[in-house]
Amino acid sequence: MPKNSIRGGVHPLERQQGGKASTSNTPIQPYAPSVVELSMSLFLGKPSTPVVKAGDHVKLGQVIGESGGFVSLPVHASVSGEVVSVRPKMMMMDQPEMTVTIRNDMQDEWVELTPLGKNVESVDPAAIIPAIQAAGICGLGGAAFPTHVKLTIPAGKTCETIIINGAECETHVTADHRLMLESPERIVQGLRLAMRATNVNKGIIAIEDNKKDAIATMQKAVAGLEGLSVVSLRAKYPQGSEKQLIQAVTGREVPSKGLPIDVGVVVLNAGTAAAISDAILLGRPLIERVTTVAGCVKTPGNFLVRIGTPVSELIEACGGYTEEPYRMIMGGCMTGLCVPDAAMPTGKRTNCVVALTEKEAKAQEEGPCIRCGRCLDVCPMGLQPYRMRNICDQGDLKKAEACDVMECVVCGCCTYICPARRQLTSVFKNTKDAIAREARRAK
Amino acid sequence: MSLHVSNAPYVFSGNTTRVLMRDVVIAMIPTALAGIFFFGLRALLHILIGIVAAVAAEYGYQKLLKKPIRIGDCSAVVTGMLIALNVPAAAPLWITLIGSLVAIILVKELFGGIGGNFMNPALTARAILMVSWPVAMTSFTLPVYGLGIGVDAVSSATVLGGLEATPLQMFLGLIPGTIGEVSKAAILIGLAYLLLRGVISWHIPVIYVASYAVLALLLGNDVLAGILSGGMLFGAVFMATDYTTSPMTKKGQMVYAAGCGLMTCIIRNFGSYPEGVTFAILLMNIATPLLDKYMGAGRVYGKGKKA
Amino acid sequence: MEKKKSLFSVFFNGIVTENPTFRLVLGTCPTIAVTTSAINGIGMGLAATFVLVGSNFVISLLRIFIPDKVRIPAFIVVICTFVTMVQMLLQAYVPSLYESLGLFIPLIVVNCIILARAEAFASKNGPLLSAMDGLGMGLGFTIAITIIGCIRELFGTGTLFGIPIMGASYQPMLILVLAPGGFIVFGTVLGLANIIMRKLEAKKAAKEGAKA
Repeated sequence: MPKNSIRGGVHPLERQQGGKASTSNTPIQPYAPSVVELSMSLFLGKPSTPVVKAGDHVKLGQVIGESGGFVSLPVHASVSGEVVSVRPKMMMMDQPEMTVTIRNDMQDEWVELTPLGKNVESVDPAAIIPAIQAAGICGLGGAAFPTHVKLTIPAGKTCETIIINGAECETHVTADHRLMLESPERIVQGLRLAMRATNVNKGIIAIEDNKKDAIATMQKAVAGLEGLSVVSLRAKYPQGSEKQLIQAVTGREVPSKGLPIDVGVVVLNAGTAAAISDAILLGRPLIERVTTVAGCVKTPGNFLVRIGTPVSELIEACGGYTEEPYRMIMGGCMTGLCVPDAAMPTGKRTNCVVALTEKEAKAQEEGPCIRCGRCLDVCPMGLQPYRMRNICDQGDLKKAEACDVMECVVCGCCTYICPARRQLTSVFKNTKDAIAREARRAK
Repeated sequence: MSLHVSNAPYVFSGNTTRVLMRDVVIAMIPTALAGIFFFGLRALLHILIGIVAAVAAEYGYQKLLKKPIRIGDCSAVVTGMLIALNVPAAAPLWITLIGSLVAIILVKELFGGIGGNFMNPALTARAILMVSWPVAMTSFTLPVYGLGIGVDAVSSATVLGGLEATPLQMFLGLIPGTIGEVSKAAILIGLAYLLLRGVISWHIPVIYVASYAVLALLLGNDVLAGILSGGMLFGAVFMATDYTTSPMTKKGQMVYAAGCGLMTCIIRNFGSYPEGVTFAILLMNIATPLLDKYMGAGRVYGKGKKA
Repeated sequence: MEKKKSLFSVFFNGIVTENPTFRLVLGTCPTIAVTTSAINGIGMGLAATFVLVGSNFVISLLRIFIPDKVRIPAFIVVICTFVTMVQMLLQAYVPSLYESLGLFIPLIVVNCIILARAEAFASKNGPLLSAMDGLGMGLGFTIAITIIGCIRELFGTGTLFGIPIMGASYQPMLILVLAPGGFIVFGTVLGLANIIMRKLEAKKAAKEGAKA
């Protein structure tokens, strides 16, 4: 395995126009939507309970949904204005989610904010993790797992290193890239706060070498700070995947069915670190994030987007479509989710919105496997996708589990590279879901 | 405006089966041109018949059995071309025709079409042709455009059959042989193209030749002549690298290629045929499922570590 | 309760529905080894038919007296008797066929078809039915291997029953009369026969469905 990189992997859209290149030089612009729709399931975990009703006036940052437990987060109003409705609505998942719709009065009237301290040193370490939960912070890279849960080190485990994930290997996304360029100090503060909360004295900021300017900026930002360093990684997808990043940075492998903490590591997204800094030093809850809008829009760019902004408004902010979109994706083209309707709101995990034309995104017909072995070469987990697909197709979950389908990280490399255009990743994902459902049912 | 929904990923590499097969055809073009240059238009006729018959056979079979028509993936073109390059130019034209039909219908389609065959279609066809019409398949001629090495200009023994030739003659292709195998220079151009385009990796061709060389050296053969004469390079570059019938992992491919090389040397030295490439590769084709079973899996990330 | 078997249905069963070569895939060794020519196929088939009819008849007669534990050796002894008779008859009257079938004549003893019919049919049915089953199975086997023999001879040597057919300019496809050709032709014909059989069955099922 090459140093500072991962096993397998691909380079999607690297040489093509319209990938990251279209937005990597556009500064982040703030964007205020006319309306926001806030789901109570903006994160992975127990959904929050709405505490407002239609007709209420809410201030910016006001709690509108209360946390449902430890693995849960509160939801905050991302605009000030009137609550239009509180109702269940179908979002991207297969079950309706309780959703609060707020019309923006454009006043941006904040609730009272209570920062924990002026700077990192003055903050009480024990107060950081609860404050992170209260600010509604979850992983902004895509999984949206509540950050305070990650930072709560389980008994018997020790955390040695916190890694800031600035790899951003997905196609089109430049949100973290811009954030690293424009507010490196917030990311560094966030990292130091996380280290202070967990009593860790080694922090690494990992960035892929296709973002040389970000590496230079972050190096400047950590200069003189003890225990902090920037690591340059050889660009390759899916390096931003947690398990792969840990391997690339530390050379360790997260054990099967284990967590990063099992190898003494916690990984936070760059955006998450900035959100931690805002939450502790400014007292501001997570109400906005950087989202890249790219693809077939007139002026692709990066926006500081309020959580819950409808995608269609973002597209308008980019001057509309250049061509009829065929597919709209939240996230990158390798792992993102398809948006069925442009009125869908963005969430905390939405790092990117991509509109693709029919020519770019039309799925091609599946052919028979020609046994070329490319899927074996690119799998970052060392699996045998061609064989797994054949076994998964038989529908026997026991057999499927035996061929390590649960180890699949659903990165999409095999499907990307397959010359026969076989749908490997989606079959694995469905099989994994089925196995997980079965396991839950058995309990 | 309607948005389409499907599962990730939404982008694909440009390498479709068709592009890969097209690249193989392109890689064979120098070899084919060399063959036409040395053996005249009759070689071209062989190649055209091979391609047309293979594509027509595939189309006809799939149409007849109401299967999806897959001639668009160009794999039949590759097979047809390989067969034509594997017959001597002096062989009757119907030999190539029958070879193509046998390869496509008997070896490929009856076993489920592309990806389903367990032996290389073109090589199996060559083996069947060689056993069926040994005289026609081994009546080699010296290049029409060539230098008289003092042998009968109509038919000649091959280098492996005892003909004398200098390494340079063998490298350029001024020796008797099948249409495709004579010019090593053209084959190497094709190999360079395949490697450049990432269609194949270096493992199979290089290890094939290397393992042959090692055993040939131990047995005291003329290693250079062994490599530069006969179908060894052609087989190592175009035949042994067939995706479907070679192992999928690099580790498996190395064992496979070594097996091919050793087997070639053994057949050449101890077998009843002067040339062993065809049967060596076919034998290793049959061993491929076994190699995939025992060498198909790499270490899975995070396995065997305690949670 | 099973329908009472008629002589014709038992006969037909052996030739088509349960053809030993194409449906039961029994006796594949002689099927591949001796079918290099049509005449070999017929000779082998008829020899096996003779043994089948005789052994089935005798075993059926003896079926009450043969103890269950030693039935296989008993069957073999009966079969051997008939095989020896066939061998001597062939040697006496058609020495050329005897020469070309060679070892495969005595090997009829261990031909799966004969033992299978003794075990599966003759030991459970009356002598007349058993003889009919033997005849049907034997002819089914004969037809099958003659077809394979014809194909291999026609394309492998250009003749049919020894008569040149394909013309003087025909260059025979040698591989067909060699062992690999046996496998290739057997497999292909087996596949084709099953396609035809499946179509026939589907037609029959459709007819019966319409009746019901």
